[in-house]
Amino acid sequence: MTNEPMIDLQDATKKYDDGPPALAGVSLSVAAGECVAILGHSGSGKSTLLNLVAGLDKPSSGTVTVNGTRVDQLGEAGSAKYRRASIGMIFQFFNLLDDLTVLDNVMVPAQLAGMGRLEVKRRAIELLTSLGIDRHAKAYPQRLSGGQRQRVAVARALMNRPALLLADEPTGALDSRSAEDVRRLLLDLNDEGQTILLVTHDIQLAANTARRTIELVDGAVARDVVNTVSGATSNSSAGASR
Amino acid sequence: MSALGKVVRSGVGRRRVQSLVMALTTFAAVTSSVLSLGLLAIVQAPFDHAFKARNGAHLSVQFDSSKATAAQAAATAHAAGVTEASGPYPVTAALNTAYGADCTGNIVAGMPVAGRASSPVVVATRPDLADTSGLDHLALVQGRWPTTANEIVLSTWDRLCAGGSVMFDSLPGKPSFKVVGQANSLTNTATGFLTTDGFARLTAAGAKTDQQMLYRFAKSGTDADLTTDKQAIAAAAPAGSVESGQSYLAVEKQIVGATKSYVPFLVVFGILGLFLSVLIIAIVVSGAVVSGIRRIGILKSLGFTPWQVARAYAAQALIPATIGVVGGTLAGNVLAVPVLGKASKELGAADTGLPVWVSLVVPIGTLVIVGVTALIPALRAGRMPAVQTLVVGRAPKAQRGRAAQRLASRLPLPRPMSFGLAQPFAKPARAALVGAAVLFGAVSVTFAIGLETAFTKYQDTDTTGFHAASMLVVPAGTPSGFHAPGGGPGSPHLDSTEVAAALASIPGTKAAFGWGNSGATVIGAPTGDHTIVDTTTGDLSWTNLELLEGRWYQSPGEAVINDHLSSALGMHLGDTVTVTQDDKRLPLRIVGIDFDGGSDGFVMTDNATFTAGGLTPYITQFNVKLADNTSGSDWSASAAPALAPLHAETAPNITYPNPTVLTMAALVATLTLMMIAVAALGVLNTVVQDTRERIHDLGIFKALGMTPKQTIAMVLTSVSLTGLIAGLIGVPIGMAVEKATLSQMGSALGRNMPPSVTHVYTPGILLPLLAGGIAIALLGALLPAGWAARSRTATALRTE
Repeated sequence: MTNEPMIDLQDATKKYDDGPPALAGVSLSVAAGECVAILGHSGSGKSTLLNLVAGLDKPSSGTVTVNGTRVDQLGEAGSAKYRRASIGMIFQFFNLLDDLTVLDNVMVPAQLAGMGRLEVKRRAIELLTSLGIDRHAKAYPQRLSGGQRQRVAVARALMNRPALLLADEPTGALDSRSAEDVRRLLLDLNDEGQTILLVTHDIQLAANTARRTIELVDGAVARDVVNTVSGATSNSSAGASR
Repeated sequence: MSALGKVVRSGVGRRRVQSLVMALTTFAAVTSSVLSLGLLAIVQAPFDHAFKARNGAHLSVQFDSSKATAAQAAATAHAAGVTEASGPYPVTAALNTAYGADCTGNIVAGMPVAGRASSPVVVATRPDLADTSGLDHLALVQGRWPTTANEIVLSTWDRLCAGGSVMFDSLPGKPSFKVVGQANSLTNTATGFLTTDGFARLTAAGAKTDQQMLYRFAKSGTDADLTTDKQAIAAAAPAGSVESGQSYLAVEKQIVGATKSYVPFLVVFGILGLFLSVLIIAIVVSGAVVSGIRRIGILKSLGFTPWQVARAYAAQALIPATIGVVGGTLAGNVLAVPVLGKASKELGAADTGLPVWVSLVVPIGTLVIVGVTALIPALRAGRMPAVQTLVVGRAPKAQRGRAAQRLASRLPLPRPMSFGLAQPFAKPARAALVGAAVLFGAVSVTFAIGLETAFTKYQDTDTTGFHAASMLVVPAGTPSGFHAPGGGPGSPHLDSTEVAAALASIPGTKAAFGWGNSGATVIGAPTGDHTIVDTTTGDLSWTNLELLEGRWYQSPGEAVINDHLSSALGMHLGDTVTVTQDDKRLPLRIVGIDFDGGSDGFVMTDNATFTAGGLTPYITQFNVKLADNTSGSDWSASAAPALAPLHAETAPNITYPNPTVLTMAALVATLTLMMIAVAALGVLNTVVQDTRERIHDLGIFKALGMTPKQTIAMVLTSVSLTGLIAGLIGVPIGMAVEKATLSQMGSALGRNMPPSVTHVYTPGILLPLLAGGIAIALLGALLPAGWAARSRTATALRTE
């Protein structure tokens, strides 16, 4: 783990229409190699924060910097290229493309980046093998279990060797066994140095997976704690909300 | 507003683009249909009505009085097949005329009308011109019937000399008659009518008199019937006495042909438009049902009956369609005015509008078709179980197209393009709808471009203007574009021998020939036509004038006639056509049939033939081909000193387009643009629907790093294969439709189109047309591709 900030939000605010802000002046930083959980109830602003970091949305004010890139200043094409190069995303409902095989699904990000087909295929098979689902390479996602689908989604997210992995409720649609399987996978990835931002409303998942938990309430950071042991937390010193 | 009304209004409001497409499609279909059906109804009806009311003659035959007496002509009334006959009436050949000395107007400033040549007139007399018994009742359009030997009525008379006299200046006595009215024979049996005494004045002045008989026959529906009838008359008369026979069908074509020629292509556009309407409405309403399944469930859970749901969805199509129908009906009526103007004028009808029933039948019929089309998917919506629609929420995703995706992914294409390429296979029905819209568009474009090209070529074939020339040489002082209608000695003409010699000596002259209207007339030519007898001098082979049959004249006594005269007179190669000038007759053997874009007949022969026959040629113009790299202005400057002593001068070659063809071309262009727009909007509508349904997948792609350009490429590629295939199918269909339509239009005009007019699809035209399908598909997909590229990823990902 290094002290270099991977994610840096400064006074980030996001407003939709005339209602209260979805994010209200959030400032936080995440160091490279950290696994941070964003915890909060529905409507707390955690998905908005994830969208800002992923370049899927722009803040109404404030700055969002990821891996040295001012994400809030990128245009549509720039955001796409940024996601392609720096971000891997996994979702609650997997968001796999139903009409593509597992292998083809995993290959998509690299193909969009213009990598050669053989190289892409080699890398995809390597990932599927490492995640233990290579025997399903030619299957279609609908024939896999929830856990297997999420592993495919993880493989796809890692395809372009992203600096940051964003996980949006990655176990929300899984049974407990599959959820534990995915949780362990995320832990393993983090152990290997992968920076992970995990968005969830599941306190247990946050505590058992992330080294640090940031809780959002009404669009603002309510708590920023370091998870000392599994299921327990203590106040954070470095990288806390400012 | 009722709950149902609110649902309908919100549905129309939410689908503005689709509503606009439906309105435009029905607008195009109804405009074409109103115009074509209206033209069919109005163009034919007045002629038929007048023919019946005026007891028109099926055939009028002129007998050479030197070979058949009046009694012998009258005896032909008993020939086989004749059911009724009138005559014999004394009649002259077409006689050259000039404006009388009492005509005080000017053609242009400084060019008085008096003494100028006017149109030739075929003069007849009857015991009682106003008689309404027998055949061919004459109609007095304005003025009064002649009552003295010095008065005449003409079928047309120039406003340049209203109230003045007409002078038969080719007759030795040059008799003059005061024009007291305008009267016509429906089948143009003559174009001037005199009292018996007046006619005696004309014959006393030197006019040769023939006998005219008018007949009705038991069988007269076709040209072949009338040819048989004419043969029966000839068989009953002394040998060789039948000079000419004019059928009512030829006159009918002459009067209503130009307007009827609009009908074939308007019918095609009407059919294409109606198909497109049905297609677009099916697309929109089906799409609304598929994408609104949850909404349908909510409506039903709120208490809407299946029939109310069906009505709500059908009405969402019927509202914009009704707007299109009303607009199309108005537009069809407005466009009919210029199209019908000519025919109405010919028949003397004041009303240039379409029949009211057309404006009722077409829109009501269209609304019924549209309503049924919309009702089918709407009823499907009504039958959907509420629980299922609420649970499913959207149409289940099909599992088709996976093999296509696998194959496409192996193609050496950027991945967004291979994604797009496989997309139609996932939704083949929708791809078929896109294909159908593009197909109709491709058919329309191919058809219209072919027709427009044919129109242009038709114009270019106008032999009467001998368009092929760099420069012209005309008599000095001839106003630009002015040609005396009668030709002959009354018009300024050139000394052909001297001018030809002068032109040969001018540097830069590559080739030249002279030609001119001799002022001679053709025995038996349709009297309503302005039939011209041209003579030529010099080599005109470089003009490449096209012959439908035969060859150009090479020996004395030979002539070429145009197809219009050929069909009007029923003459073919080897037949003899007789021309007359100053009461001298010259038989000419027909060796070639020419096609030209003009609407009247003409005969062409060599100056030498005329001179040998004792007739006088009048050369009014030389067409000059300049050598390469010779500028017209330089050549004119060097020619002027040589031409001035010969009272000749140079003029640029200006051509004047045919107004009927111009109107048609404008109409075709307008309708084509509408069809292309509608086809593209059909594609747009389908792609919008597809994009909406795929918005979640698009969100995934964008989350994975697909750039806006890649998104656009994917959407555009998704329609390109369908567009290409539809284009490849549509082009040959469009060519076949164009060929059939042109043939029908030619038939309406009584013309046989030559290969140069009908062969329009050259490789230079065909290759872009083959790409037209893709172009229409891409045009239609461009906007939704942009929308897809701009769609918010975060929102799209939440759409499930």
